Amino acid sequence: MTDVVVQGLSKSFGSNQVLKAMDLRVPSRQFVTLLGPSGCGKTTLLRMIAGLEKATAGEIRFGDRRVDTLPPGERNIAMVFQSYALYPTMDVARNIGYGLEVRGTPKAEKQEKVGAVAKVLEILHLLTRKPKQLSGGQRQRVALGRAMVRRPDIFLMDEPLSNLDAKLRATMRGELRRFHLDLGTTTIYVTHDQLEAMTMSDLVVVMNEGVVQQIGTPEEVYGKPANLFVAGFIGTPPMNLIPAQFRDGVLTVAGTPLPIALPPGAPADLVLGVRPQDVTIVEPGSPGSIPGKVWIVELIGSERLIEVELAPKLRVTAEVRATHRAAIDDAVAIRPDPAHLHVFDPATGQAINA
Amino acid sequence: MKPWVAAILYAVLSAITFVVCFPLLWAISTSLKPKDEIFRWPPTLWPENITFEAYHELLFGSSVASAPGAGVAPSAYFLTWFGNSIIVSVGSTIISITVATLAAYSLTRFRFWGQRAVPYIAILGYMVPSVIFVFPMFLTMVSLDLTDTLFSLILGYVCITLPFCLWLMWAFFRGVPIEIEEAALVDGASRLQVFRQIVLPVALPGIIAASIFSLIVSWNDYLFGRVFMNTMENLPLTVGVMHFFDGTHVDWALMMASSVLMTLPMAILFGFMQRHLVAGFGAGAVKG
Repeated sequence: MTDVVVQGLSKSFGSNQVLKAMDLRVPSRQFVTLLGPSGCGKTTLLRMIAGLEKATAGEIRFGDRRVDTLPPGERNIAMVFQSYALYPTMDVARNIGYGLEVRGTPKAEKQEKVGAVAKVLEILHLLTRKPKQLSGGQRQRVALGRAMVRRPDIFLMDEPLSNLDAKLRATMRGELRRFHLDLGTTTIYVTHDQLEAMTMSDLVVVMNEGVVQQIGTPEEVYGKPANLFVAGFIGTPPMNLIPAQFRDGVLTVAGTPLPIALPPGAPADLVLGVRPQDVTIVEPGSPGSIPGKVWIVELIGSERLIEVELAPKLRVTAEVRATHRAAIDDAVAIRPDPAHLHVFDPATGQAINA
Repeated sequence: MKPWVAAILYAVLSAITFVVCFPLLWAISTSLKPKDEIFRWPPTLWPENITFEAYHELLFGSSVASAPGAGVAPSAYFLTWFGNSIIVSVGSTIISITVATLAAYSLTRFRFWGQRAVPYIAILGYMVPSVIFVFPMFLTMVSLDLTDTLFSLILGYVCITLPFCLWLMWAFFRGVPIEIEEAALVDGASRLQVFRQIVLPVALPGIIAASIFSLIVSWNDYLFGRVFMNTMENLPLTVGVMHFFDGTHVDWALMMASSVLMTLPMAILFGFMQRHLVAGFGAGAVKG
């Protein structure tokens, strides 16, 4: 089994630097997701690992083997593309077996392997069809089959679920995770969908502007965001980021002191982060609460989002049960859960640990 | 669609079809008429007595003995001209398609200076009337000692067909997703395998459309054949059949039979390739 090590990897397209001296280690057999907004460099990194883009600087190793000088075909990887990239003139069986075909695998062995993979993916009945005769989900399975049949060292997946409808995407998420657990192949998965990252990954690599922002388990990137970017990017609805002041050892928000201990050297002006799920709506005047009035109320199924204005242009969203009633302009107060507060230095964006 | 609208539509379409097809029908009819019936007034739309004499003369030699000292009848060269036309059309098409396909592929897949300008400059070249560059080209052929050779005609036809073929293939390749090539590279295929096994089959409709275009242009050309060639044995069909007009009279039966026989290969080709032609030009239209 193979771990993937990226050292000092940079990539520029003209004057546009897409990856900035990136260091990353993907442990063997893990499902690692590269997560970030469009243009953050995640797909470029994946394509460089695949050998489809050349690095401007740095190196890539699979285990002890340096691979950044090797063509894609010699890296023993398999890739699933966003568009599936099935060969349109070949039937499903040849699509799956093409990698074996170009490697000179005997016909009988190839047929056997293609059949075995098709059986696992439940596409045996589709083997004679052309890609245009398949639905999106079936194409997805063929693309997976093509990746699985060669037993590669590493799976690379570039937003493979983004072209599927929501229901099928949910099903395929589970199946992909299941396949990974069964095969145990090191997998690097690119997505901008945090739900996919959180539900499928062993490790999440959050990226922005060509730089790794945080590497951690889904629980870590959600529960302990390393900086303001991760705090704002992970979580739906996004974390509330509110300006706060730290004077004489006391943290205050909109003039209300909050019971949170900070190290003595913490800066005077801070950003307080609190997830909507960790904010409760209470009666005005309740101890430890910050008064305000209801700005907007949104029902999102079993929950309701209540946005409370604490001061002009300073609003905090609370996620409460749908049964909670609130009307616009009602005088309310919010109480952030002191156990789930995050504090950031606005100058560096980094988290300050209490 | 309401019945009366359909009726009017079909009537109009039938009339247009008749007008478009009439020259060919008239050529077929004339080629099957005995010589005395060709000039009869009023003319007969369909021959009263069908004869294949003109076809026989073109394909199997003159049925009428030439007068002593009159030399070889032009119709005796018909099959040679036919062969010449096939050689130059197929030859120029093979060269045009090979060059256009490889050039268009590199223009869409590799990054180099001037990459975007090339297709536009090429199509600009196609828009220049061939009569403007036929004489400079003739002088070039003279200096290369290639005049009156089939190769000179092949080169000439490549010059007029290559720009459009390049444009067509360029538009086609732009529509072929690069991911399928990358997938094949990841699968372990070499660049050449990718081109041969993945790209070419996908590009087949475009190649067929460009081939048919090139074949038709070179098969129907008159200008280059007229300027570049002068000996009877080397003429293409279009120029050769003009010898059925000897300055004083035109052998209409031979002329029309030649026209029908000339049309036949292209018509057959069209019949077989029609489906690909639409797909190929369609891709060009959308992506170009």
